[in-house]
Amino acid sequence: MSRKSERLVNLTIALLATKRYLTKTEIFNSVEGYEGTPETKERMFERDKDDLRSLGIDIEVGSFDPLFNDEAGYKIKQEKYQFELGDVSSIEISLLSLAAEAWQEASFGDVAQRALLKLRSIGIPSDELSIPATIHKLNDGGQDLSLITKAIAQSQSLAFPYLDSTLSIKMRSVVPIALSTRNGFWYLSGVDQDNQEIRTFRVDRISSAITASEGPGDFKTPPGFDSSKVPSESPSHDLALIDVRVGKASSLRTLATSTQSLGEWDQITIPILNLDWLCSIVLWHGPDAFVQEPASLRDLVVEHLAALVENHG
Amino acid sequence: MVSKFSAPLERTARLLDLVPYISSHQGISLKELAKLFKVDESQMTSDLTTLWMCGLPGYTPLELMDLNFESGFVTIHNAETLSKPRSITFDEGVALVLGLDLLRSAISPERKDLLERIDLLSQRLAGLIKLPSALSATSVVNQEVSAAISNALKSRMGLEISYHSLYRDEISTRIILPIEIVESEGQLYLSSYCYTASDFRQFRIDRIQGAAVQEVLQEIPKSSVQQSRYTCTIKVLTPTRAVAERFKQSELQVNTAFDFETYSFQWIERSIMASGRAVCLQSPPDVRKSIAVMAQTMLDRYKAR
Repeated sequence: MSRKSERLVNLTIALLATKRYLTKTEIFNSVEGYEGTPETKERMFERDKDDLRSLGIDIEVGSFDPLFNDEAGYKIKQEKYQFELGDVSSIEISLLSLAAEAWQEASFGDVAQRALLKLRSIGIPSDELSIPATIHKLNDGGQDLSLITKAIAQSQSLAFPYLDSTLSIKMRSVVPIALSTRNGFWYLSGVDQDNQEIRTFRVDRISSAITASEGPGDFKTPPGFDSSKVPSESPSHDLALIDVRVGKASSLRTLATSTQSLGEWDQITIPILNLDWLCSIVLWHGPDAFVQEPASLRDLVVEHLAALVENHG
Repeated sequence: MVSKFSAPLERTARLLDLVPYISSHQGISLKELAKLFKVDESQMTSDLTTLWMCGLPGYTPLELMDLNFESGFVTIHNAETLSKPRSITFDEGVALVLGLDLLRSAISPERKDLLERIDLLSQRLAGLIKLPSALSATSVVNQEVSAAISNALKSRMGLEISYHSLYRDEISTRIILPIEIVESEGQLYLSSYCYTASDFRQFRIDRIQGAAVQEVLQEIPKSSVQQSRYTCTIKVLTPTRAVAERFKQSELQVNTAFDFETYSFQWIERSIMASGRAVCLQSPPDVRKSIAVMAQTMLDRYKAR
């Protein structure tokens, strides 16, 4: 095991240090660790190349002399091997360090820790205390964020079983365009392949593994999409007018776009993103909230109240 | 995302990353290095011994890396080829871009200088890993609240908070000694001793509306009140996702009942109201009755209009 790591490190050094492409023969003759019959060496080298590539090290294949049909040669370009962040200041290193430290030491936290070690290796001191912010921890919630982000980068299709509001599980097929986290939940937005509309899904409602496959070849991110907006599974722009008692119904108030005082009551306006959801918050507040408009929301509230009376009387 | 590499590959990555770290931290102790790279000291010694055998072809003392670690402190020379950190992987870039976005939401809008740098860094990283700018992370917590909490935790001080209790729908002022931040069901809570309630409490951080550091008695009274729990029986009429999530049930079946434990009748009353026709509370009978009365009063008001 030690031999293999040693050989891989030596191969990396040799391919990084060389100015021209090294042929296999040169590698076998000079890099420590290649032993055995020519076939064994050949097999070792093929595996080593694959291993280095899987570590993210890009090996270039080129020809010694393009005029002759020469043996292929290999090298690693410094600029591709190195972390090329350009000129960075101590403040920038501090910002990046804080960004890496934002991850809880869960699975993705290990990834962030490795990034932090690389940042520290740049050798510019960081002073995180100089940044006036305290941030809360990010958690991947056990989700495969890597798979989702790769799919966004490559416009792949994602298929997953999703728990809808009636508790039935349906297969969804989506080309993802954004991933965001708010209130501790992860949200995945994408173009639903069944109806070509943008939908947002809460990632923890995906009931089992996500599979990625090649997406539609002509996919373009819909213009004007803003991932920072409030997520909703079925967007709508109707407004609700609700009376709330003074000093009460804080969770309805936080949704309001405007408030008008009526003495003992305030009248607030709330954009309706999801009728059932809003109805449920109104009911939660009991006699402290009263729906004026629209009729659809009033009717829904009244219908639920009648059922509550009947079921509990 | 747990390491997908075999042991020799994992080790190779560590060896390659050790060289730039030691180069920029000459004289670091072997102990600290082992801790940073998450291996024990004997593994670190073996890693350094292996590195000491590596170098440029030729492998004479002139070409080998010059490592010193017998004293327990590590220095490296003649390692120029590997002395720059390796490029970041896709996952590492994603972690940094999301972390920067979270940081952006925690910085005051007046610090335009920092916000601009964050945007530039984020673009540069996204460029390195070829990621479209489609990731976002925001913190819902008020910047002053989060600063006060972290100050109190750092200096072991108390806090005076104004807290919005969802089920009482009231904002109360409490004196607390914060213990730690914990995460549960996707929400962040501040686990604390509450002097106002004389007991341990967890406060949802996004519901803390204001916080100021305050001196408190560090001693927590031993005789803290034991909060009583109540059991309710809830019958499912229409299985919905909202009900499943509210009552933390993984499965719901029509016309079956489940038991639910709560500290507060108010919470259960409001939760049943919010669930509307989907569920029916079977016990306790007095809460059941109060729901019927409340729903009737509201219904009368809608009908009177």
